[in-house]
Amino acid sequence: MKAKKGPVPLSRIKLIGLSILSLFLVMAIFAPIIAPNDPRETRTPYQPPSQEHYLGTNDIGQDILSELIYASRVSLTIGFLAGLISVTIGATLGILAGYYRGGMEELVMATSDVVLLVPGLPLMIILAAYLSPSMWNIVLAVGLLWWCSTARVVHSRVLQLREMPFVEAARSLGGGDGYIMLNHILINTKEIIYAKFALAVASAMLTEASLSFLGLGDPLNISWGEMIHFAFSRGGFANDMWWWYLPPGLMICACVLGFVMISMEPERSQKALEP
Amino acid sequence: MVSGRKAYFLGKTIRYAFTFSLILSLNFALPRMMPGDPIVNLLGEEALHNDPRMKELLRAEHGLDKPLHIQYLNYLRSLAGIDLGYSIHKNLSVVELITDSLGWTLLLVFPSVIIGSTLALLFGSLSGFKSKSLADFLLTAGALLFYTCPPFLLAMLLLSTFSFHLGLFPLGNLTTGGKVGIDYALDVAWHLFLPVAALSLLGASYKFLVVRNSVTQILDEQFIVAARAKGLKETRILTRHVIRNVLPPFISMVAISLGFMVSGALIVEIVFSLNGMGTLIYDAVVARDYPVMQGCFLVLTVCVLAANFAADMLYAIADPRIGGWR
Repeated sequence: MKAKKGPVPLSRIKLIGLSILSLFLVMAIFAPIIAPNDPRETRTPYQPPSQEHYLGTNDIGQDILSELIYASRVSLTIGFLAGLISVTIGATLGILAGYYRGGMEELVMATSDVVLLVPGLPLMIILAAYLSPSMWNIVLAVGLLWWCSTARVVHSRVLQLREMPFVEAARSLGGGDGYIMLNHILINTKEIIYAKFALAVASAMLTEASLSFLGLGDPLNISWGEMIHFAFSRGGFANDMWWWYLPPGLMICACVLGFVMISMEPERSQKALEP
Repeated sequence: MVSGRKAYFLGKTIRYAFTFSLILSLNFALPRMMPGDPIVNLLGEEALHNDPRMKELLRAEHGLDKPLHIQYLNYLRSLAGIDLGYSIHKNLSVVELITDSLGWTLLLVFPSVIIGSTLALLFGSLSGFKSKSLADFLLTAGALLFYTCPPFLLAMLLLSTFSFHLGLFPLGNLTTGGKVGIDYALDVAWHLFLPVAALSLLGASYKFLVVRNSVTQILDEQFIVAARAKGLKETRILTRHVIRNVLPPFISMVAISLGFMVSGALIVEIVFSLNGMGTLIYDAVVARDYPVMQGCFLVLTVCVLAANFAADMLYAIADPRIGGWR
């Protein structure tokens, strides 16, 4: 199987995903320019949407639209870093397990069995409650517990790859294990790793949102999930102030959707690709 | 020499026993290795508000001055006596708190898993079978939408639409109270309808996507071409050839998803203010009541573990191939 050179045309679904994500990226980077107010500035609390505040104000009188725009920075950073950690761990373990097999494989698979079985949220709640509430601790808690599915998928792909002629050729030419894993195995799993990375960011964002919704978020860096936490615990939801809890929720949905979309492969017959 | 099936059972049992002991050890290690004083981590933040001199007394009373292996043995001994510690915040033993809540959470999770899986299997195979049709497009789009929706948002939207605005369902709680017999059961069902709906949809969305994917892949296989060539009706191909092959991996996916469903149930409970484990954990998080959190974590994990173990055993009985190639 030879990889085609040159840029691969993107499928329509990936293009839509990419454009959603670039919108969010622009929003996060240029937050100070886009946001109409300073999100920390306090005015009259509990204002409904108006000309002055497009999405009203929250319980301490902060402009919700500005808060929403600034929160994209926190949510995206946490999702991106946690996804990066989990995919790095997962891909490394998956490649090592698939390439060396034997004891290494047993260990990685047994560990991922255990981690997959443990209900994630309760464990993360405990970790987040013991550690001080900061976004870096959430990144760690989510990143360290989300690597299993990546490790498994990469592992099964590597099992196929290691038996292929080009790997054997590289080995017979005297290529070391490290060289083969980096230059032959990793290169050929990178598409899976990219897709898994996008999905890992999506799940990390959802998990972070749940943790923050429970009040375990970073009080200094408000994320979308945390905005909903405040709306829920300080009467925004009970008083039907949809402009407070709905926009951050929709932001999470759209952003996660963007990441899921860029991970999707266009549909085609898989059989045709096999050698 | 043991037969293949016995070896499978034995291997699974050993693996689960190993997982179980690892979870017990993790539960032991967490309060002791996390930052902060272990005595606070073990008794909750309210334990030491009264008197700092009590600290040493409490430390001795709970055996925290002993070496770790003695502490571990004591920990196992108290677990064997079904003792998960005491919640100073709620002034009740953790076991008592959990027995009050666990049933409700199971009552929420169980129907949701069954409804969600059935929906996913049904619509997933239909959608995969008729792939690229309008129905497939709509179903997939809907599943993606639910998949990307955080659990609390879906629960809040359902609650706000059907209870606040349409007034069809109660605003929360598990029962109205003062009812017995069949009325009580119907009342509970009425209260649980929206939470179960939310959790079922959340669970169904991911499973739907996986089922749809595997059905489209199976349709590429040679034996489907053969079945078509010999003139079988499409419905018969779907029921006899496609679903039969989707089923085994589907069962293991349902089992693996239990952990996710429990996590989702915790969130859904909080939104609907049902007095289950989720609300218990939420209160414990707010009060930094560590023994309750640890107890809940342990009990939930053991439940998920037990359900997975049962599923693995059933799987071996259901799949005739196990025994041959393991």
